[in-house]
Amino acid sequence: MRAGLAVAALLLATPLAAEPPIAIVGGTVLTVGPQGVIEKGTVLIQGGKVAAVGANVAVPPGATVIDAAGRYVIPGIIDCHSHTAVEGNVNEGTESVTAEVRIADVIDDKDVNIYRELAGGVTAANVLHGSANSIGGQNAVIKMRWGKGPQELLFEGAPRGIKFALGENPKRSNFRVPGTPRYPGTRMGVEATIRQAFEEARDYKREWDAYEKKLGRTGGDKPLPPRKSLRLEELKDILEGKVYVHAHCYRSDEILMLIKVAEDFGFKIRTFQHVLEGYKVASEIARHGAGTSTFSDWWAYKLEAYDAIPYNAAIMAEHGVVVSLNSDSDELARRLYWEAAKVVKYGGVSEPEALKMVTLNPARQLGIDKRVGSIEVGKDADIAVFSAHPFSPDTRCDLTLVDGVVYFDRAKDVAARGQVGRTAGARP
Amino acid sequence: MRRVMTVAVLAASLATLALGARRDVFAIVGGRVVTVSGPVYDNATVVVRDGLIEAVGPGVAAPPDARVIEAKGLTITPGLIDAFGGVGLPSAPARGGRGGGGASPAPAASPAGNPLAPQAFALDRVRPDEALKARDQGVTTALVIPKEGVLPGQSVILNLSGEKTEGMVLKQPAALHLHMATLTRQYPGALMGTIAYARQALYDARAYREEWAAYDRSPRGRKRPRYDAALEAWQDVLSGREPLVVTATRENDVRRALALADEFKIKVAVAGAPQASRLASLIKQRSLPLLVSVNFDPPRAATFFGAEDEERERKDIEEAQKNPAELHKAGVRFALVSGYAASFLDGIRKAVEKGLPREAALKAVTLDAAEAVGIADRTGSVETGKIANLVLWSGEPLAKDAKVKMVFVDGQLYEPDERPDRRGEPSPSPSPEVER
Repeated sequence: MRAGLAVAALLLATPLAAEPPIAIVGGTVLTVGPQGVIEKGTVLIQGGKVAAVGANVAVPPGATVIDAAGRYVIPGIIDCHSHTAVEGNVNEGTESVTAEVRIADVIDDKDVNIYRELAGGVTAANVLHGSANSIGGQNAVIKMRWGKGPQELLFEGAPRGIKFALGENPKRSNFRVPGTPRYPGTRMGVEATIRQAFEEARDYKREWDAYEKKLGRTGGDKPLPPRKSLRLEELKDILEGKVYVHAHCYRSDEILMLIKVAEDFGFKIRTFQHVLEGYKVASEIARHGAGTSTFSDWWAYKLEAYDAIPYNAAIMAEHGVVVSLNSDSDELARRLYWEAAKVVKYGGVSEPEALKMVTLNPARQLGIDKRVGSIEVGKDADIAVFSAHPFSPDTRCDLTLVDGVVYFDRAKDVAARGQVGRTAGARP
Repeated sequence: MRRVMTVAVLAASLATLALGARRDVFAIVGGRVVTVSGPVYDNATVVVRDGLIEAVGPGVAAPPDARVIEAKGLTITPGLIDAFGGVGLPSAPARGGRGGGGASPAPAASPAGNPLAPQAFALDRVRPDEALKARDQGVTTALVIPKEGVLPGQSVILNLSGEKTEGMVLKQPAALHLHMATLTRQYPGALMGTIAYARQALYDARAYREEWAAYDRSPRGRKRPRYDAALEAWQDVLSGREPLVVTATRENDVRRALALADEFKIKVAVAGAPQASRLASLIKQRSLPLLVSVNFDPPRAATFFGAEDEERERKDIEEAQKNPAELHKAGVRFALVSGYAASFLDGIRKAVEKGLPREAALKAVTLDAAEAVGIADRTGSVETGKIANLVLWSGEPLAKDAKVKMVFVDGQLYEPDERPDRRGEPSPSPSPEVER
C-alpha cells in the first residue's frame, strides 16, 4: 500500500502546455448518452472536451492515439457519496447543526485514495460531511485531478450541497462518547432539531429581507445589517433552493418525515443517501422529486439496516426515481462498476441503466450532468478504459482521463512499481 | 541562571573595572563579532550603554566610563529570538512523540486557559522566573503564546531581563493567534469547524467595528453597542495593525491561512509549518512571514491504525527536520522558532545537521526572526542603536560544543549557570543590587 503511494506520486499527470488531440480508437464505447453503444468507435478529445464520438470519426494528424481495440470505453465513474480527501475529522460532531462548516476548506489533495479511485475509473466524487449531525456541513464535488492542489480538485461550477443525516447516527445510538450525551437522542429529536433550525433560518431570512428592503429606500441613515450567521445563512440558502440537500437515511418512516419537513418549509431534498428502505416508499420519494443514492447489497450492519434488500435500486428506479450507487468508502469506490453489475443480477436492471447508476445518474443528482456523466460531444473528457465490459468479473480499469488528461495508466503504474522498490529500498 | 550580583563577582575576574566605570556601560573587547546584518569582525569592540548598542567595530575604543569585558576567543552574536513558543508559561506535561516524555514532571498547577479567547493575554500567564531560564540557551527575546486551545489569545514579545514581566515587554500585544487545532467535546471538534469558527469570528468582528463606528459618528438617538472583549481583540487584525499568526501542522494549513488573509484582507503569518518547504514558491510569492518550528516530534493525536501511522510519523519527522534546509535552498526567508520544543538549541542544531547552513540558522534565530515578528528595527542584529541583546559564545555559535558564556539583555550582563544540577532550578531571591 505504501509502495502504492510512491507509485502514485511518480505518476502525477503532467499535461503538456499545448496538448495535441487524443483519439481513443477501436474500443466498444458505452456512451451512456443518446448514441448508446458504439462498436469499434472513436472518441476524439480536444482541449479537455469530447470533440467527436462515433464509428466513423477521422483522427486528425498529430493526435495521440490510444488503441482500445477489444476494450471498453465508458464515461468516468461518479461516486455520489464519498469521504475521500478530507483532512481532519469528517464530522464536526460537537453540535447537531453545523451547516457552516465546509468540506472545501479541508480538502487533502495528497490523499492517495484519489489515485486509487482513479484506478477504478472514478473521475468525480461528492465529498460529504459525515453523518453525525442532523444538519452537517457543506459538500465539495471534486474531480480526481491527482497531483493538483486542493482548490484545483474542486469541480468548478458544481451546485452547492449539504449533508443531512437521520436515524442512528445523528442520535448517536452506536457511538459511545464520553461526557454529557448530545441532543438529539431519538428520531423525534432529530426531526425537532431540523425543524428548529429552519424556524431560526426563517426568522433570519425575515430579518435580512427586511434589512434589504430598508436599504432600497433612499434617504436617512443607512441601516446596519443584521448579524451575519454563516450557519443560518446556509440554511436560508436551502430555504431559497440554492443548496442541494443530500440526506443520509435508512428507514422509511424517517424518509417520509424528512419529505414532510422539507415540504412544510418549502424546500426539496435533492438526494436520499443510503436509503436502504427506499423501496418501501419509492413512489413518495418520486413524488417529492428526490433522487436516491444507495448501496447495492449492504445490509444488517446495524439495526436500521436490517430491512435492506438488494432489489432496492431496481425498485426505486421502476418507480421513476433517479437512482445512483455509491461507495461511502475509499475502498469500495474503486469497484463501483461491479456495484452496478449487481443490480443487473438482483433487480433485472438493464446493463445501460445499471451503468447509468454510477455515471449519468449521480451526475444528474449533483447537477453536473451538462459537463459529465456520459460520452457526448461538448462534455468534459472524463473517461475510463476497461479491459473488458465493466460488469465482467475479470475486467479492470486500464486508463482514466479527467479533462482529457491521463491521470491513471495501468501499464505505467505496473512498470513504476519495480522502480519504486529499487529507488526507495521498500520492503518486498 | 544566577543573578547579577553573583555574575558581577565572576565578571570582575574577566572585566577590568576602570575607575569610575558605570554599571550600565560595557566595552566588550577583542572578540569576534557576527553582526548578522553586516560583516563579521575579528578582534572588534562592542560598546553597550544604557541598554543599547552604542558602537561596534574593529577600530572602536572602549569609553573611559565602561566596564571592559575581555572577549578574546569568544564570538559575539545577537541574542537569540524565539519568535514562537511557550517561554515562561507553566509547562503542560510533555507527551513527546513515540514513547517520549514518560518521566516528565507533573504539570504546573495552573488552570488551562479558555481555548477560544482571543482577548486573553499571554502576558498575564507568564512567570518571569520561568521565562528567564531560557537565557541559559542564549535566548534574549521570546514571543510567548500558550500552546493549548484554538484561539489562545494574543502573544507578547519579551526581552528576558529584569524581575517583572512589565519591564520585560518589548511588544504587547504582539499578534493574535489561531492554532489549526481542534477541541474535544466542544466546538470546533474538526479542522473544518476550526476554520468555520475563525471565519465567523472575523465576520462578527467586522460587524462589531461597523456598529461602533456608526455609533461614534452619531451617538445621539442611537443605542450604545454592547462591548465585547473577544471581538475587540480581532480589531487590530482587521485593521492590519497586527498579524494573525496561524499555527499550521499540515501543508494545506498554509494555504488555509492565506485563504483567510485573502477573504478578510488581513495580514497573516504562519507558525510551525513542518511541511512548508512543499509550498516554497507560494510562500515566497506571497511574502508570507514564516515561523518554522524546530519541534520536530510534537505529541500527536492517537489514531486507530498503528502500523501505517508509525511509518507516516517517521516520515513526517524526517520531513520536518529537513524542512528548514529545504526552505533555505528555495530562497525562502524564515524564522526558526522553538515551537514548544524541550530544547530550542537542540532543535536548531538538528536543522543544521540536516543541511541548514549554520550562518543561515543564526540569521533565522536573530534578524529574520525579528523581521518575521516586526521588531527588526530595534533588535536582531549587532548594530548601533539597537537594543543590546548579545550572546558571547565559546566555540562556534550554535554548534554542539559551543557554550553560552555571557548574555546581555537590554544591556544587562548575565552569565549562565553551567552546573548541570542547577539548571532549571528556581532562581535565588533577587539581589537588591540589581533592582532598579
